[in-house]
Amino acid sequence: MADRRRTPGSQTSLREANRGRIVDAVRKHGGLTQVELAGVTGLSPATVSNIVKELSESGVLSTSKSMRSGRRAQYVTLAHTAGLVCGIHFAQRHLRVALADASMTVVSEHEMPLARDHRSDNEIRRVGMLVADMLESVSADRDELLAVGIAISAPMDSASGMIARPGILRGWEGIAVRETAERTLRAPVAVDNSSNLSALAEHRLGALRGQGDAMFVEVSEGIGAGILVGGHPYRGASGSAGEFGHMVIIENGPICRCGNLGCLEAVAGGEAVVEGLKPHYPGLKIGDVIVRAMAGDDACIRAIADAGTHIGVAAANIASMFDPERIVIGGHLARAGEMLLGPIRQVVDRSLATRLAPPPEIVAGQLGPRAALVGAIGLATDRVSAFPAGMSGTVELRAALG
Amino acid sequence: MSTATPPPLPRMDRMPALAMRGISKSFGKVQALTDIHLEVYPGEVVAIVGDNGAGKSTLVKILAGVHPADAGEIEFDGQPVQIPDPTASRSLGIATVFQDLALCDNLDVVANLFLGREIAAPALEEEEMERRAWELLRQLSARMPSVRVPIAALSGGQRQTVAIARSLIGDPRIVILDEPTAALGVAQTAEVLNLIERLRERGHGVVLISHNMADVQAVADRIVVLRLGRNNGDFLAPDVGYEDIIAAITGATEHARPMPDAPLPGPHPIRPTR
Repeated sequence: MADRRRTPGSQTSLREANRGRIVDAVRKHGGLTQVELAGVTGLSPATVSNIVKELSESGVLSTSKSMRSGRRAQYVTLAHTAGLVCGIHFAQRHLRVALADASMTVVSEHEMPLARDHRSDNEIRRVGMLVADMLESVSADRDELLAVGIAISAPMDSASGMIARPGILRGWEGIAVRETAERTLRAPVAVDNSSNLSALAEHRLGALRGQGDAMFVEVSEGIGAGILVGGHPYRGASGSAGEFGHMVIIENGPICRCGNLGCLEAVAGGEAVVEGLKPHYPGLKIGDVIVRAMAGDDACIRAIADAGTHIGVAAANIASMFDPERIVIGGHLARAGEMLLGPIRQVVDRSLATRLAPPPEIVAGQLGPRAALVGAIGLATDRVSAFPAGMSGTVELRAALG
Repeated sequence: MSTATPPPLPRMDRMPALAMRGISKSFGKVQALTDIHLEVYPGEVVAIVGDNGAGKSTLVKILAGVHPADAGEIEFDGQPVQIPDPTASRSLGIATVFQDLALCDNLDVVANLFLGREIAAPALEEEEMERRAWELLRQLSARMPSVRVPIAALSGGQRQTVAIARSLIGDPRIVILDEPTAALGVAQTAEVLNLIERLRERGHGVVLISHNMADVQAVADRIVVLRLGRNNGDFLAPDVGYEDIIAAITGATEHARPMPDAPLPGPHPIRPTR
């Protein structure tokens, strides 16, 4: 990335590297003409043309005719012969949308900030337009979109398909998310809680691979968790299991947005951390807190460590009761790394010190803030695997799931 | 997050990078602005919202040096300054991206970025300019197919990106964006909103003018409402809902801001009838 024009090594390694460059560039931009590819990669148009031809014969890329500045051009995209799936993550302040092929390779991705208390109808309509745009950018038709997975950062009630607890995503309450999204996107939609899907994603592709009984804890604006029992997500009787952030850890503590008092989220969630820093620094966001903490700002380091200690108390309780092998910490605040994980680990280790078995490992997620999005794509591919068309990529994934 | 040089930390000193106090402006008999107060801190996104004719664009034009203010004072980093013309504005460190972007459609991205500020010693250093152009665009996480295509071949969002990137060439303290998402599709709007977040992270003070409440609430730290050329509210974005802002824009509620050292009795607050 640092030096896009220098090409070291032998002929073959050079050609290999050039192939990699071209595929990377196409993946990053969704789709490009050959001339643009030459510009981005710094390769000569002839080399680009040769490699594109070679890769489209082997089924990695696909080309279509297009126009650029009034001239004919070859438009290059990643091949998606087995159809596409879409993953969407609606968080409190963030929207992520990605198109992927049946093997979960992302071909086009967008993210954008959202307003607090954004409205579901607005955002679903926006996503509808965005998905149409993205399909166009990878030159796919509407009917190539086989399924959509939606991750929602709020507990979902499995019977009604609505948000199970008021006050968490206020613009989405009382909305049958699946039906509404299906009407707009005109594709089968599956909806789940974002922490459950993050756990699924980390289980398939990240830090929970091969783990049977484990937990994913998402620490962002709010706090949530996805629980894996025997390698399968555990959803509870009503579908809203894993509300880690709404465990009461301080009786009659600060009021939470769920209406309860002393929830973990109201003490150690991202918003609580930012709120606690307000006397020092008004107008910070979670990202700023982490950047400042990394630069050595003591107030921010302390705030993150305090959050970690509180999360550790809750995690220790869970660990005694449910005995997971591993607890993965993800979400925005987890970008703080050991500043957050260290205190969590300390509290958990201390409270389980007398136990014969070692305490659960506390590790950082590998998929970062995209975990829920990857999980949503996974949910959509699972959905596709019920159809004969998209069987190819999902068989070994299901085998991997057990 | 792989930037070539680590961005400067947004400083949170309580000194605003830019402060406007008691700004008034009239065009003949039309009083466009009356006694406007505005403060922008480094690393903060301030959205200016208001109805048509509320004075948003006039305010921006005063900052950009297009019109001088009739009365009031402007402080930059605590120092009183005059902005008689656009050159003065730019040399202070205020960069303005106007609604029409003012790009040259026939020139390529590099030429547009360095227009009037070409690196030349003594011949044009095309390689150096191209390298810097890529570096800047990468810092903004911009998706640009090539920096050697004419602007005419770019999408609306990409043009907006180029215009914003160009404003950053002189490393300004304040970046003013006038309706950056007005004529854009959804994907391009997403790009521009991300770009605004990048600007904020780089420690620039951002003044955002927009009609789109969803966009404003997504990125703004503070929302300043203008109504009929006066301040009608200055809200912290986390504390305020959509309805409050609309109420302030339409005049259903009046939030006459108390002046810092009020020499005159403020106007009576008119509360909504219940």
